[in-house]
Amino acid sequence: MPDSSSASRTALSLREAAAPALAGALAGEGLWLDLGALRLRVRSDSAVFARQLRQVYPLFELDTGGGWTDIQVRMVRARGLRRWVAPQVFFEGDGERVFDPFPGDSPLPHFEWGTNWLVGRRMNHLLLFHAGAVERDGLALLLPAMPGSGKSTLTAALSLRGWRLLSDEFGAWDPERGGFVSVLKPVALKNESIDVIEAFAPGAPIGPRFPKTRKGTVAHLAADERAWAGRHAVAAPGAVILPRWQAGAETQLVPLAPEDVFPALAFNAFNYGVLGEVAFDAALRLARGCPAWRLVYSRLDEAVAALERVWSGLGRRGEAAAASVPMRGLA
Amino acid sequence: MALPEQLRFIAALDDPRPALDWGLPQWQFAVHQARRLRLLARLAQALDAQGLLPHVPELPRRHLQAEIHLSRWRTTALQWTVERVGECLAPLGAPCLLLKGAAYLAQGLPNAPGRLPSDLDIMLPREHLQRAVELLQQAGWQELALDEHDRRYYVEWSHELPPMHHPVLSLELDVHHNILPTTRRIGVDAERLFAASRPLGGGPWSVLAPEDQVLHCAAHLFFDAEPRDRVRDLVDFVVLLRHFGLAAGFDAALVGRATQLGLLEPLSLALHFGAEWLDLALSTTLRRAQASGPRLPIVRALMRRLILPGPPGEPPPPGQGLAAVLIKARYQLDRLPLRQLVAHALRRARGRDHEAT
Repeated sequence: MPDSSSASRTALSLREAAAPALAGALAGEGLWLDLGALRLRVRSDSAVFARQLRQVYPLFELDTGGGWTDIQVRMVRARGLRRWVAPQVFFEGDGERVFDPFPGDSPLPHFEWGTNWLVGRRMNHLLLFHAGAVERDGLALLLPAMPGSGKSTLTAALSLRGWRLLSDEFGAWDPERGGFVSVLKPVALKNESIDVIEAFAPGAPIGPRFPKTRKGTVAHLAADERAWAGRHAVAAPGAVILPRWQAGAETQLVPLAPEDVFPALAFNAFNYGVLGEVAFDAALRLARGCPAWRLVYSRLDEAVAALERVWSGLGRRGEAAAASVPMRGLA
Repeated sequence: MALPEQLRFIAALDDPRPALDWGLPQWQFAVHQARRLRLLARLAQALDAQGLLPHVPELPRRHLQAEIHLSRWRTTALQWTVERVGECLAPLGAPCLLLKGAAYLAQGLPNAPGRLPSDLDIMLPREHLQRAVELLQQAGWQELALDEHDRRYYVEWSHELPPMHHPVLSLELDVHHNILPTTRRIGVDAERLFAASRPLGGGPWSVLAPEDQVLHCAAHLFFDAEPRDRVRDLVDFVVLLRHFGLAAGFDAALVGRATQLGLLEPLSLALHFGAEWLDLALSTTLRRAQASGPRLPIVRALMRRLILPGPPGEPPPPGQGLAAVLIKARYQLDRLPLRQLVAHALRRARGRDHEAT
């Protein structure tokens, strides 16, 4: 895990930095974003991108000092006549352009999406569950993405109620450390969930809305100070919640057996096959060791309150339970 | 006789111990460059084989560990695919050759560990292709959907069938009937390749004779339309030559075979760059073969431009684009007689117009 910066600030944040300084850094040697589990170098010749980046990464440092780079990204404006008629931006990951370009006015969703794709391909030393991850009292709560689960909405809501955001996309399990690590980026909210979160927490730092993306309208909730300052902390396994949003439903928490949790974790991971035995051991350990519930909800406030009640009963128990499970063996 | 700076990490594939003295900037460069050249897993594996991985600083070690996972997974997938396809083709009663990575793996060659296979390459006698495709389709393999023209291109002018894929097995299957396109001015006689092949025992699989494996590797790099960033093929060539070259009389047999198959040019180029960049020691016999290569030094100059990568994560070095165009033109002219090439280009252009409208 990148250890080149501590929790204390040494440089200006993107919010504090002058706009030309950020644009200049992006156009020059680049800006290094410390996401916790990795350091991303990003360069761009797009002023639009610089503006949008600043809006949703306000607390990240204006780090132009080089240093270790895990992934390199460039957002490059397409050349030629198009530049004037219908400008486009390319996502270039580690020197390769594998995707079609994006409209020039919405480089941010393309950057977020492309970066997630690169993280999913590159960071195979981690087991990457497709899940939201937040932390409280040193314990991680994992929200695996099931169809219609609204994991990003719930992850965003929890992070707005004092939970530390690790990621809304990657439950990143570090087999060496035996805990979850941050892949800290803004939370991507889609369609109705943007309004839901704005109603849930008026004034939440949500960036511009991008209509007409592949996934409909997208907007990004900036990570807060707690998430930023804690991005190098490792969260021990706490609990697993399989959320299901259902119109008009009463809030319900139904306990789940390990055999229900295992497939929700393993078969939802980005690189379960790649990590082989390591992945199997980790998914088994988590399924056996973490208390788990299915959360059925329609009202976000109630869902968050229910999870908070669960957590106060959990205490250090979750960690103790997880730690007592042997790493190996099916017997 | 020294590695260009951008390839210096390659020495660590042979002897990884000096890598333990690298500082973070050197690791940074090596990780990004090796990944781009698809040699990062090889580097990771070289360190792991000697138990050195725990001594690598954590920041680069994470990437090495990640590549080891990826390489093991893909290698397992390749072995599994070889087994399934082997079972499927057994009734054919014809020699079935494993090519490239699958062949290295099946023989346990020194360049087998740390590969990132994404397809399985096999070769069958042309007259058995139709039956083979039927057997494969019965087992669930499907040909890529192609239009009539592209299909004909494969069947008539190429040395392989359209790639096949399977709903369960993750690798693509490339079925060849020769190691180079049959329309080349000087074709390779596939019958000679089959005649010299060596059965692996237990199953239908064989591999090319050692000389032919070395030549195939060289031809694969220097007779390809896209040799850009393909240093890994040169690394394979050097490892294969060092391994098979231990047998008495191998060098002379290799040169003789290259002459017979019309593959002196790629052999000469591979020897040239292997010696210059990767410290390949050349016997007198091989030095003569190296000198007998292309008369035009320009081919060497273009290949140098193409194969030597620029700094990782940066746009290609100046001149590489032009070199790529020239090599591609040369490749296409050699591969297709001009009349066919023009016809093909026209079809392609017309096809694209249709898509655009």
